[in-house]
Amino acid sequence: MVDVSQHELVPDHTILDGDEIEGVLEEYNIKKTDLPKIKRTDPALRDLEADAEAGDVVRVTRDSRTTDRAVVYRLVVE
Amino acid sequence: MAAITEDVEAIVEDTELPNRLKEEVYDTLEDKGDLTIEQVDDIVRAVESQYLDTRVDPLDPVGTVSAQSIGEPGTQMTMNTFHYAGVADLDVTQGLPRLIELVDARKEPDTPTMEVHLEEEYATDRERAHEVVWNIESTKILQLGDVSTNVADMLVQIDLNEDTLEERWPTADSLESVVADISESISSSLGVEVRTPAPTVVEFGPEEPSYRDLLQLVEELRDIVFKGIEEVTRVVIRKEETENGEEFVLYTEGSALGDVLDLEGVDASRTSCNNIHEVYRQLGVEAARESFINETMDTLADQGLDDVNIRHLMLVGDIMTNRGTIESIGRHGISGNKESVLARAAFEVTVNHLLDAAIHGEVDDLNGVTENVIVGKPIKLGTGDVDLRMTARDGAEEAD
Repeated sequence: MVDVSQHELVPDHTILDGDEIEGVLEEYNIKKTDLPKIKRTDPALRDLEADAEAGDVVRVTRDSRTTDRAVVYRLVVE
Repeated sequence: MAAITEDVEAIVEDTELPNRLKEEVYDTLEDKGDLTIEQVDDIVRAVESQYLDTRVDPLDPVGTVSAQSIGEPGTQMTMNTFHYAGVADLDVTQGLPRLIELVDARKEPDTPTMEVHLEEEYATDRERAHEVVWNIESTKILQLGDVSTNVADMLVQIDLNEDTLEERWPTADSLESVVADISESISSSLGVEVRTPAPTVVEFGPEEPSYRDLLQLVEELRDIVFKGIEEVTRVVIRKEETENGEEFVLYTEGSALGDVLDLEGVDASRTSCNNIHEVYRQLGVEAARESFINETMDTLADQGLDDVNIRHLMLVGDIMTNRGTIESIGRHGISGNKESVLARAAFEVTVNHLLDAAIHGEVDDLNGVTENVIVGKPIKLGTGDVDLRMTARDGAEEAD
């Protein structure tokens, strides 16, 4: 299998720990389920060090077209 | 050229500009050359105020603005750009049909194609690039030689073309091994015994003499893929300029991204295809979003409509990938999943939505724009979402 994370279309994905999740939800004043979703089986999560479980939050660091880097969060589902 | 002094840096870094704009400001200042500190300050302030002016205000209807900003240029796209020999004689759907295909998130594009980049040693050597080409382009029997049916002996005879074999199996040790490979493929796919009466002649026949079986075998023979990837019918090789020299890039007709990424010689970090669903399956939602934005922007740019701001396309990409899969814009996707009954009914197939809602006893909370327009209430956008409250002034006595 190819290492998907090396592909230029795939931004960095990292799994957040509990405290970081709290921080994110507080910053945006939202519930966890308000976040955009990502499937547990998503190829981009396949090669991460830890396996992503449903309920985890993933930080996606995109190389944005409009600013330097754009950080978005996705909730792992299913 | 004026060097960027510490003073200039202090001015620029003091602004609220994002890094990318700061870089651009530095570049421009450097190009301009001799500028006094005051002039630099003026320029930077002007840039900053422009930037702050163009930021989106709270309660701005960004979705509506995006819809109009993509829709209006869309009206200028030509309908009849069906096929067009643009990129190295490949047929690629362009213009409005392609744009519709993208926002509809079709499972399979009209003209699937891949852009295959090669690893360095393959990318600079035409011979080696061709090795990869033959591993991608599907090779069928009609490309390899002449097929004839001998009804008298109940035999199918294939007269293989030696040059073609050498061309398509450049890494093979000998002609015999290639012919043996081909016979092996035929016998395993068709379940017949294959003989090679001459070095480049292969023949076989049905077990029982039967004219129908013989023709059936020829039919099936034509569909066997001897080498390459079944979905890819053609590969075009092109020399392209890069930052450090030239490289060969392959463009394909038909796509199978997963298979190609695993091939030897293929640069799996830059190869992609125009099927968003395939990108989604192989590389994930985030890659699919990127790819959607790229494809849409390229489609618009090809039609000279590249002044559509990328942010609108990014918004569409965000919405389409919001649930972790790819959803289309429209009745079966985003618009069909709206919370509000009235909003769905207002989009398409009004009666069905209202009927279903009535059967299931759905309630509409009138939170969105469409619902409120229908019932004639102010919409909750812009000034419509601002409530004013007045309290009696503390010093009410003074007024007396």
